[in-house]
Amino acid sequence: MQFDMPSLIPVLPEAFIATMACVVLVVDLFLKQEQRIVTYSIAQFSLLMAVLITMATSTGDSQIVFHGSVIRDTMSDVLKVAICIVTAGAFLYAKDYLRDRDLFKGEFYVLSLFAVLGMMIMVSANSFLTVYLGLELLALSLYALVAFDNNSGLGSEAAMKYFVLGALASGMLLYGISMIYGATGSIEFQPVAEALVSTGMNNTVLVFGLVFLVIGLAFKFGAVPFHMWVPDVYQGAPTAVVLFLGSAPKIAAFALAMRLLVDGLGSLHADWQGMLAILAVLSMAVGNVIAIAQTNIKRMLAYSTISHVGFILVGILAGTSKGYTAAMFYSIVYAVMAVGAFGIVVLLSRKGFEAEQLSDYKGLNDRNPWFAAMMLLIMFSMAGVPPTVGFFAKLFVLEAVVSIDMVWLALVGVAFSIIGAYYYLRIVKLMYFDKPEDQEPLTAGMDTRIALSVNGLAMLVLGMFPGGLLSVCAAAFS
Amino acid sequence: MLYLLVSIPFIGALLVYPATERLRLPPSLVAGLMALSALVLLLFIGFPVYSGAVLLSRAEWIPQIGLSFSFRLDGLGLLFAELILGIGVLVVLYARYYLTELEAGPRFYAFLLLFMGAMLGLVLSENLLLMMVFWELTSLASFLLIGFRRHTSEARQGARLALFVTGGGGFALLAAVLIMGQIVGSYELSDVLASGRLVADHHLYPLVLVLFLIGVGTKSAQFPFHFWLPHAMAAPTPVSAYLHSATMVKAGIFLLGRFFPVLAGSELWFYMVSGMGLSTLLLGAYLALFQHDLKGLLAYSTISHLGLITLLFGLGTPLGEIAAIFHVINHAVFKASLFMAAGIIDHESGTRDMRKLNGLFKYMPHTAALAMVAAAAMAGVPLLNGFLSKEMFFGETLVLKWLVEAQWHWLFPMAATVAGIFAVAYSLRFIHDVFFNGEPVNLPKTPHEPPRWMKVPVEVLVVLCIGVGVFPNFTVRPLLESAAAAVLQQPLPEFSLSIWHGFNTPLVMSLVAMGGGAILYSGRKWLFRAHDRIPFQISGKQWAESLVESIFQLGEMVDRLLDSRSLRRYSFFLLAIVVAAGAVSLWGESFPAAKALTPVTIPVVIGGLLLGAGSIATAVWHGKRLLAVIMLSIVGLMTALLFAYFSAPDLAMTQLLVEIASVILVLLAMYFLPQLTPPESSRIRLARDITLGVIAGIGVAILSYSMLVQPLDSISSYYLSQSKPGGGGTNVVNVILVDFRGFDTLGEVTVLGIAAVGIVAMIGGLKIWGPEKDWLGRSWAGDRHPVLLTTVSKLILPFALIVSAYLFLRGHNYPGGGFIAGLVTGVALTLQYIASGSDRARQRLPWDNLKLVGAGILIATGTGLGSWVFGFPFLTTTFAYVTLPIVGKFEIASAMLFDLGVYLAVVGTVLLILAGMGGLHQREENV
Repeated sequence: MQFDMPSLIPVLPEAFIATMACVVLVVDLFLKQEQRIVTYSIAQFSLLMAVLITMATSTGDSQIVFHGSVIRDTMSDVLKVAICIVTAGAFLYAKDYLRDRDLFKGEFYVLSLFAVLGMMIMVSANSFLTVYLGLELLALSLYALVAFDNNSGLGSEAAMKYFVLGALASGMLLYGISMIYGATGSIEFQPVAEALVSTGMNNTVLVFGLVFLVIGLAFKFGAVPFHMWVPDVYQGAPTAVVLFLGSAPKIAAFALAMRLLVDGLGSLHADWQGMLAILAVLSMAVGNVIAIAQTNIKRMLAYSTISHVGFILVGILAGTSKGYTAAMFYSIVYAVMAVGAFGIVVLLSRKGFEAEQLSDYKGLNDRNPWFAAMMLLIMFSMAGVPPTVGFFAKLFVLEAVVSIDMVWLALVGVAFSIIGAYYYLRIVKLMYFDKPEDQEPLTAGMDTRIALSVNGLAMLVLGMFPGGLLSVCAAAFS
Repeated sequence: MLYLLVSIPFIGALLVYPATERLRLPPSLVAGLMALSALVLLLFIGFPVYSGAVLLSRAEWIPQIGLSFSFRLDGLGLLFAELILGIGVLVVLYARYYLTELEAGPRFYAFLLLFMGAMLGLVLSENLLLMMVFWELTSLASFLLIGFRRHTSEARQGARLALFVTGGGGFALLAAVLIMGQIVGSYELSDVLASGRLVADHHLYPLVLVLFLIGVGTKSAQFPFHFWLPHAMAAPTPVSAYLHSATMVKAGIFLLGRFFPVLAGSELWFYMVSGMGLSTLLLGAYLALFQHDLKGLLAYSTISHLGLITLLFGLGTPLGEIAAIFHVINHAVFKASLFMAAGIIDHESGTRDMRKLNGLFKYMPHTAALAMVAAAAMAGVPLLNGFLSKEMFFGETLVLKWLVEAQWHWLFPMAATVAGIFAVAYSLRFIHDVFFNGEPVNLPKTPHEPPRWMKVPVEVLVVLCIGVGVFPNFTVRPLLESAAAAVLQQPLPEFSLSIWHGFNTPLVMSLVAMGGGAILYSGRKWLFRAHDRIPFQISGKQWAESLVESIFQLGEMVDRLLDSRSLRRYSFFLLAIVVAAGAVSLWGESFPAAKALTPVTIPVVIGGLLLGAGSIATAVWHGKRLLAVIMLSIVGLMTALLFAYFSAPDLAMTQLLVEIASVILVLLAMYFLPQLTPPESSRIRLARDITLGVIAGIGVAILSYSMLVQPLDSISSYYLSQSKPGGGGTNVVNVILVDFRGFDTLGEVTVLGIAAVGIVAMIGGLKIWGPEKDWLGRSWAGDRHPVLLTTVSKLILPFALIVSAYLFLRGHNYPGGGFIAGLVTGVALTLQYIASGSDRARQRLPWDNLKLVGAGILIATGTGLGSWVFGFPFLTTTFAYVTLPIVGKFEIASAMLFDLGVYLAVVGTVLLILAGMGGLHQREENV
């Protein structure tokens, strides 16, 4: 094994995050509880630096290093930056929440940074093995994070379910990978893709490999019918963890799908398109319909995630660079929306009060018009109301799918968007038209307030000027 | 200039707040000035449009999807923009007096301007996607306006219903626009309009049309989506006058006109659009008569008139289209004035109930006169604007292109006349019931004339009614021509706007409508009673609410069905779906055996059967734990034997030793478990799970088979050939472990060490109270350390250590190696703990196991680093031949040092874990 600098530069962001996670781990040991803010600051600094390093070392063309295991291309750069920024937002919102509940511990940041590392590895993986490594690093960190509040029975139960089902799904994924290896003789994407072009799909093992791969993928996405863990985990985990778990990993899941299906199995597009279509339709249908019945906002947002995943899948299954761009745009935008929505949940909660019930949002406008407006923007964006960015995210995906003549899928998407709009607007109605039941003042710190305002206004600003982000996304597939 | 025009209302909406607070200006003044300046600007820049010019401004917004920020001012846009801004100015003036300053405030005017801007953007959009953005914005702004009085539940419900229907329709329209843009290849209106019959001949045309009409129908309150409009009357009257006469409900009509050249002309268009229009026309006219609420009457009459316009577009003829545009203007003018008049009545008398409002003429003669003229225009009385367009409408229904063969051509004129009769009747009711017909009943306020300026907007509109009605060619013709030409995209046919066309059929129809309406109205008491006796009243609101309710219930049902929150059910679902997915992809596949399989021999069969039996026995006896562990060890043993049989001695040895270590671990842990297993699941559930398990097992077997018959270029040949020359050993497994993939091994050993540290940390301060007696109440055996076992274990230890040393040394060439040797030593030492007890064993094995692990990892890492000293990459190995006495000549490779590290780490870890677990037990006994 040789380490040469040219092959290290492209993985510098990952190396940096890995180092910093260890630094946080060690430094935190020597801190008193009231100095814990140092841990937090190092973690935020790491994310910020990772963004800068990613940008500084970005070359614009794709480099393959580590004997074909790792790729550094525009898509990975953009997604890494997005992951770090969204995670930084989640850390920011989570800080007060954790401190109020005696959960302000270094482990949260260590685990989260390792999860970020896992995502970054997934994002720039160039072989099935690397993808799997990143995925497991992410998943293992998340299992632990879900059970982070070890006094919460609901949290432990959720973590247990997540772990058992997640392990099962990882097994499926690995099984699929091994079968694809058996059929093609390689675990790197390019050789696999070449082998597939020559052999085609008339290979039973390959069919199975693909099916298992898609199943594993669907589980990690939380697409119906592999979604069962999502609501329980969202509801059971501390909101601070859901902030993180519900946002950045969606970007990573997009990358996972792109790497596995497009980079690796691109020539089997016709085969996985159908599978993804089934998953997408089911996700949009079940996610939106069940979300209506929820009274717990975290659970409702969990089902809303599921429905958004359906939309991301629709973009991917289009199989055109337009579709990939749309899906990438959608996943980044979704991550920003999700972190904002949970940020509001955190904002409203305080020690001993989780603000988990929908009725806790009644009359928010009377209590605090500004944050009610921010939540309004986020909800509008999730519902896809113009001119918020959520509308454009949906529009891009729909356009991509119409342009490959899958009009029916666009119609299904539209129909379920209407149903979906109902429950987002219900929150708006609660905030604006109902009398508040809870009169406690909001306790959040100034940093949270500013970040939430930026986050909410971003919905509008990105909606007015989606061109920038879109062209960044498009650059990844040009 | 167009940008400026569209942005004026939005800027105004933003300005209202600061202007009101900082400069202490009344918000109505700001809003009015903004609307007025926009109107002036429009009239100024719109001048060339009358002569057929089209003003375009383009700017890219998101070029990737063809969304541009471009506007277009043509005849149709001009007409609507003038209506929006003109009536907008009047509405602001009216609202100034209608709403108290306290009630309206800057919020109201900001919303109003927002809506105005959205409408303006909608009618001036050149880009279809941009149009959609504004379309949704109008829905949102109208939601805010209708729900403006948010303390009343009607306002909230009405607003929600309107948003639900129009917003939903917007999504359908979006889909239609996307498909249309895809067919044409551009979202620019100019391209779409120039595409001719492209869309209409496309195979997706019916779909586009249906989606399009859902969008249009919801916005313009067409049957069956009309029901939201009457409920939207909860809005303040200025809002109704603005949104529900001239602007928002006309947005759908606007689109009908806009896409007329692209979509119209087919038979499908005729049946769908005119069918929708006709049913709306009749239903609206009929229901309008039976409303007792003044605004309700106007709402249904609006529905009816919108239906009329839709019907005219549906005919698909140029003249019909001109009539439709004409009626758009006329309806906007008279309906806005009627709403304002109704608002005045409501404002000054305190009620809108026509059963209470009577004889108001003597209290407010001026208002009454205005309202009467406007109502007469609505009824289609000659010399007023409504008459002209209604005549054209009647005329058009007589010359139908379709339905002729089927002998149904009488249907349209007939229906038109009936609708006309009802229109006259409800207009009469508006006039007679409210202003005459006796004295008012129990009015909350004594009615009187409103402030002077409140009547001005109504006066302006009524003057327009008369002006258009008397001098149509002079007043409205240029606007109408330019708008109609913009719709048709081709030269206009000849048409006449004169009042007298001679004594012809349309005039007869008008006269019939007049007479019939008067008769109908005079018989109204009887009619009302009859209407009340109709057993079921179709209520769209209830229908919509029950739809929402049923979606809600569906959600709860699916929630109960799928969201069981039970891990067992989740895993069952997951496995079942996986099995199903596997079965689907397996269907009809065959597995050509591309590779000869190893022949089946008797030992293999026996081993396999034992393996299976062991597995099944483990599952069956899982309640009896000791038995289950023994069965499990049979499985492990058989696996080890099968490995050995298939020439994998390293694997077999490792398996065997790991098996031993793990069985010990399980036994140690078992002591702390509850002694009784939880109750079993029901038999049905068991049967279900067994079935699934068997099917999944079969599936995996099939998969393994298909995998095994694959032709595969194994990488093993590379290792086989390189093992000796490259790594200095003939035992390929060991060479791979310590040399080829030495880095991996280093990582694994480190992980092992970390796990050991973790376990030590975890059980370090742990105290678990084990049970004193077993589940039958018997004490544990008193003899803790049987003499025989102690003695034998002491005898075995030296042998075991020699064996492990032997395995270690020969590992590079023959089955063995550091890992296996480590396991042997670890298990042998563990036996000492078991036999003699922790305390004695610890005395005799005084070293710190944690340090042992650390030393192992250090040695392994040091070996790797050592190669750097010699200038080789990390973990490069070298080897030499050494001859030792007794043992003889053998190779010593640097990898062996590495293997020593592995050995130490494994020994340390095994002891740490097993002795640690045993120690838990010990501590508890000593307490």
